[in-house]
Amino acid sequence: MRKVNFLLCVLICFVLQSKAQTGVYAIRDAKVFTVSGATIERGTIVIRGGLIEAVGENVKVPADAVIIEGKGLTVYPGFFDTNSSFGLAARPSPSPTPSSPTLLIQQASAQQQVSSTSNYPVGLRPEIDIVEQLRAGDSQFETQRNNGFTTAVTVQREGIFNGQSAIINLAGETVSAMIVKSPFAQHITFRTLSGGVYPTSLLGTFSALRQMFLDAKRLQEWKKIYEANPRGIKRPESDRSLEALFPILEGKMPVIFNANTETEIIRALNLAKEFNIKAIIAGGQEAWKVADRLKAQNVPVLLSLNFPKRTAIASEEADPERLETLRFRVETLKCAGRLEKAGVRFAFQSGGIQNYAEIWTNLNRAIENGLSKEAAIKALTLGAAEILGVSDRLGSIETGKIANLVLVRGDLFAKDRVFTHTFVDGKLFEIKQREDRSNQTATSTNVNLTGVWNLTIEAMGQSLPATLNLNQQGNTLSGTLQTAVTGTTNIKEGKVTADGFSFLLDINFGGNQVEVTVTGKVTGNQMSGSIQSQQGTFSFSGTRTPQNQ
Amino acid sequence: MRKALLLTALFLFVLNVFAQSDGSQQNLLGKSGTFAITGATIVTVSGGIIENGVVIIENGKIAAVGQNVSIPSKAEVINARGLFVYPGMIDAATTLGLVEIPLGANGTVDVSEVGDNNANAKAIVGINPHSSHVNVARINGVTTVLSMPTGGLISGQAAVINLWGSTQAQMAVVPTFALVVNFPRVAAFGSDFGQQQMDFNEAIRRRDQQLENLKRIFKDAGNYARAKEAYIKDKTLPAPKTDVKLEALIPYVRAERPVIFTAERERDIRAAVKFIEEFKLKGIILGGQEAWRAADVLKNVPVIYTNIFRLPVREDDPYDYLFEAPSKMLQAGIRFAIATSDGGANVRDLPYQAGMAVAFGLPKEEALKAVTLYPAQILGIADRLGSIEVGKIANIVVTDGDILDPRTNIKYLFINGRLMPLTSRHTELYERFKDRR
Amino acid sequence: MRRVFACLVVLNFLLPSFVLAQASNQVLIKNATVMTASRGTLENADILIENGKIARIGKNLRAGANARVIDATGKYVTPGIVDCHSHTMIDAVNEFSYSVTSMTRILDVLDPKDIAIYRALAGGVTSALLLHGSANAIGGQSVTVKFKYGRPVEEFIIPDAPPGIKFALGENPKRSNFQPLPGQTPRYPRTRMGVMEVIRDAFLRARDYKREWDDYRAGKTRVPPRVDLELEPLVEVLEGKRLVHAHGYRSDEHLNLMLLAEEFGFRVGTLQHALEAYKIAPEIAKHGAGVSIFVDNWSFKIEAYDSIPYNAAILWKNGVLVSINSDSDERMRRLNIEAAKVMKYGGVPEEEALKMITLNPAKQLGIDKRTGSIEVGKDADIVIWSGHPFSPYSRVETTMIEGEIYFDRQQDIAKRAELEKERQELEKLDINKPPASGGTQPRIPSEFRKDHHDDADGMPYLSDEDGGEEK
Repeated sequence: MRKVNFLLCVLICFVLQSKAQTGVYAIRDAKVFTVSGATIERGTIVIRGGLIEAVGENVKVPADAVIIEGKGLTVYPGFFDTNSSFGLAARPSPSPTPSSPTLLIQQASAQQQVSSTSNYPVGLRPEIDIVEQLRAGDSQFETQRNNGFTTAVTVQREGIFNGQSAIINLAGETVSAMIVKSPFAQHITFRTLSGGVYPTSLLGTFSALRQMFLDAKRLQEWKKIYEANPRGIKRPESDRSLEALFPILEGKMPVIFNANTETEIIRALNLAKEFNIKAIIAGGQEAWKVADRLKAQNVPVLLSLNFPKRTAIASEEADPERLETLRFRVETLKCAGRLEKAGVRFAFQSGGIQNYAEIWTNLNRAIENGLSKEAAIKALTLGAAEILGVSDRLGSIETGKIANLVLVRGDLFAKDRVFTHTFVDGKLFEIKQREDRSNQTATSTNVNLTGVWNLTIEAMGQSLPATLNLNQQGNTLSGTLQTAVTGTTNIKEGKVTADGFSFLLDINFGGNQVEVTVTGKVTGNQMSGSIQSQQGTFSFSGTRTPQNQ
Repeated sequence: MRKALLLTALFLFVLNVFAQSDGSQQNLLGKSGTFAITGATIVTVSGGIIENGVVIIENGKIAAVGQNVSIPSKAEVINARGLFVYPGMIDAATTLGLVEIPLGANGTVDVSEVGDNNANAKAIVGINPHSSHVNVARINGVTTVLSMPTGGLISGQAAVINLWGSTQAQMAVVPTFALVVNFPRVAAFGSDFGQQQMDFNEAIRRRDQQLENLKRIFKDAGNYARAKEAYIKDKTLPAPKTDVKLEALIPYVRAERPVIFTAERERDIRAAVKFIEEFKLKGIILGGQEAWRAADVLKNVPVIYTNIFRLPVREDDPYDYLFEAPSKMLQAGIRFAIATSDGGANVRDLPYQAGMAVAFGLPKEEALKAVTLYPAQILGIADRLGSIEVGKIANIVVTDGDILDPRTNIKYLFINGRLMPLTSRHTELYERFKDRR
Repeated sequence: MRRVFACLVVLNFLLPSFVLAQASNQVLIKNATVMTASRGTLENADILIENGKIARIGKNLRAGANARVIDATGKYVTPGIVDCHSHTMIDAVNEFSYSVTSMTRILDVLDPKDIAIYRALAGGVTSALLLHGSANAIGGQSVTVKFKYGRPVEEFIIPDAPPGIKFALGENPKRSNFQPLPGQTPRYPRTRMGVMEVIRDAFLRARDYKREWDDYRAGKTRVPPRVDLELEPLVEVLEGKRLVHAHGYRSDEHLNLMLLAEEFGFRVGTLQHALEAYKIAPEIAKHGAGVSIFVDNWSFKIEAYDSIPYNAAILWKNGVLVSINSDSDERMRRLNIEAAKVMKYGGVPEEEALKMITLNPAKQLGIDKRTGSIEVGKDADIVIWSGHPFSPYSRVETTMIEGEIYFDRQQDIAKRAELEKERQELEKLDINKPPASGGTQPRIPSEFRKDHHDDADGMPYLSDEDGGEEK
């Protein structure tokens, strides 16, 4: 399915100017979809100093402005991807294999001790701030901008507390220039910790969260009492993890719960209610089933546009799919439309979609399934800005707001529409269209990783043989990794990148399901790379078995 | 008063000594002799119901059955007015005697040998005649079981045993009845969660490889059998090198004895039948969840159905999917028995399993047959067991009601014509503690 | 305790209005053999249900014109079965990490979509105690539910059922059948001595904790103590507000727990499994604990080797409140047959046997004011059987909770064709078609459905993804 969509995507976009300019621009004679006000059929927008200086039918073009002829174009506020992991620096490259197991363990435990002031295990550290992991640079956001997206919420994905996210504009030469709001929200995923560490079950997950919120509440109170009069009172302990929860308890920071199913959403809503948390649901594939409660609790949804699809091939050996699964896929398409009708606030997120342009295919499917175009546009712009609390500066085309704009030729939801320009913080990115039907060779790599690779993983001072069976389709990797210890595991989210490849694995480690990240490089039939896990980083290398090439 | 106390003390002492046995020893061999059960409703299973009938037991066999039977003078008469006489029930799938306590006591577990091919492993050698399970099962009316090894590809040879005897030989009805083969399949069986995570292609590859392996073993065994036969006829030929496993397989490849294939899903059952036909085996399907869907190929292959006390596998399966399978098999013309597939502890639930199939469409008479005559036929012992007929082994249960009903009490029990005491580890612990104050 | 009330308030708030709306309907069950479980068996009796409650029981009852009338001629009616030990409809059973996991709550992990609920309804079960597993000396907090399958999860919870907590003794909490991973320190305790000390220590801590709060509330300290989710429920136990449901097999262990409870001034709610309870029946009667057992399951592990099917009879004769539970999605569907067995083993009378799966567990769970028997004023949790419920030839025809039908055999059968049609239509849609090329492997099919049961006996499996590839 992915491949099919990929093949359908015949327009490969390239940025004309790698060094975009911030300056003075005037978009003339364009249709302006302001979102907040009436649509201007033929208007002018002036951009200066990164802001919208003027917008209207009778706006004068300043003499110093670079003019963009807007005839036949429609200007929208830049779109929001409200949940992503954009801009994260690559994980630290694996250091050379330590000479002794002791070193390896030290290295692993050093990784565990990211935050030495935390009393909590990795995964229960809400103080983690995504900003520390961000890297600057425009080029990394090219795909998003080329699809009209100029602002995103970004956060890492690990642990129960994923940590604090930031709202970033999708361009910027420095991290600080990118940031719109930081920290923005705390993100929570209902999962367990690995390695036998509490919580090992979903039961413990909720108790651990609950206890931490209670402890934070108490620490807050303790501090207040102590500050008022410290005499005779034990000094409250400094606890970065608990302190990171203060703004949540004070209602200053929302919590974004990753929750797709009805059951997960209800659990999130219950927890939010218990601690009077400003909650936002991310994912929300079954949110329509709980629309009444979402509305009653005024909880918005960051709806994933990564719609479920059947990935499993047909096989006579397999059981038929569950009726519930078949229904789920169909119903998910109707979710946005149903939320609109129910009056639940929502925005969109890419939800880890592999082929970014598929967002637009999926938006159209949502529209075919009952979502109005107006609501779709609002959810991409002002609606999102409102949910994220930045509607005073973003989300609509108004004087004084940040100049995040997207220029479109043709109907936004038509297949032949073309994004021509984006502005991010007033910086122009012109999108040159090039039709390219030989897209498969035009991808970022000419490498073909398909084949069976015999690898050796260096772990805990031991060499572990492994067989990696890869199948490359475009830039997507599928396949399996097999070792004597972990058995055979399907790889997930496999992709070929400009400088190598990466994929995720859920492996069974001492009875626990652990997600590890595998990255590596290939030269001819040689492969090397590293496996990052909570147990440490392990390097591997190996060769491709000849008969497959 | 003192005398009464003394008597009580003596009684308690005796009781205590008696209870020391714990029932874990099959120490009570029963009483042999000639018996006449009179005035009973005789449910013969094979020949209808005889009201107010008489059954004569002599020399371990059923000597006479009917309304107008003369009672031998030496016979001990059991007045069974108002009671019912049934043949002892037969559980055609158990590991009884091969496992006492499955968890935390590996020393008592003898069900699965190491390795893929254990054709030479014989249940009759592993069965513990003194297992507590023996008495517990029989005093609920189950008098004969198939006890079989499990695990691996070829698990070993199953034994048909009566639940009486101090030695394996005394228990044996058919000491080596059938070969048990776990027919290779993709589906995960048991609660092996490791297997669930296996790659699908890998599972198919392993299945195919195992099937190849199985075919090779059966081919080798066929060749071995022919070479041996040839050598026996003509001693000038080179003697085939003795192979203990192939040797064990000879009667099975020659279809002298049946091969039991475990298979649940329709496609696996069909594949097993194909294998049976290819090698011209005498096949039996064990499990058989979806056997009724493969009725067209099961004309000559009976099914031992073991899925009444199991949950339907798929979420979308109807709630009664496994309850109504026996009824569907009957309609489809499949020969079948209902069995527990139990380790021994719950073999006594056999009648209720059959009873539950009645709630979902199986006629009562058929349910009774499915735990008496039908398993006897499938186990090849219908000439000796499975119904109340003259000449058959006197495995007889006298009850105060329908034998398939959990409220029914067993009043008398005969195995091999011996009147057995209705005691077990459980009754003895009961006696020891029931009056504790 | 305050939190519990808060919880109840929340739940009341969440109850959708349609329950109240539909419940004013009348249901009249006519001409049945009614086994009341409290006042004998009534022949040719009618039951009138109003607002989800049993309004009248008698002969020739009349209902309003809009009443739903069910002709139960030739059929049997019993109270809905109450299962006093279940792990159905929960996404996690055990929190293996600590020996005391009283901070965990089954309430947090309910899965109202579990198909096992429907299958249990088809076996006549209407209420259940959902318990944490037995991997810990003190496990998590339990929930008592009604199986309102298809309804929002909040509606399952019986709002006025007293809260409970799981304790466990013996092989499981001492992890006898589970070896620690290489390099891992074994978890304390590893002996029965240690298990009892873990429990004692927890109660001592709970006492101190309560004192700390009392001091604070009395103004003796200025900084509020920590709200300790581990100790809060144990304080409730000490105050007699939370029922202890103690898993155990050996009689000595249960006896020791009762002695410990007496030392701390509370009464154990139920002894769960308690397959050797018959050895200490007088002591149990004296302490006043309920006992919830398997009828005749035995020998599945060492500590179950002295289990006897006469357990129920001996306990009953000693005046102990006995219930029969399933601890299994599978056994749950045939608790009627399990109950029938106790008539044979020790001669328990029919009504007492029926009570062991209805009124007795309801009493043990403190929900007997609303369910467990067919009496005027109680919730209409009712099962209609095709024949006598103790006959294996009988099956459930209809199961209702609070007057509403949650299982009906005829409806179930009628729906099958509809579902098949729906499946075929859904499979035709593009979104449900398998990928033309590439794609992942399907799931390996299974021959056996994993039962929801206590997984503390074996290895902890934490990667149970039963929900297909995308849920």
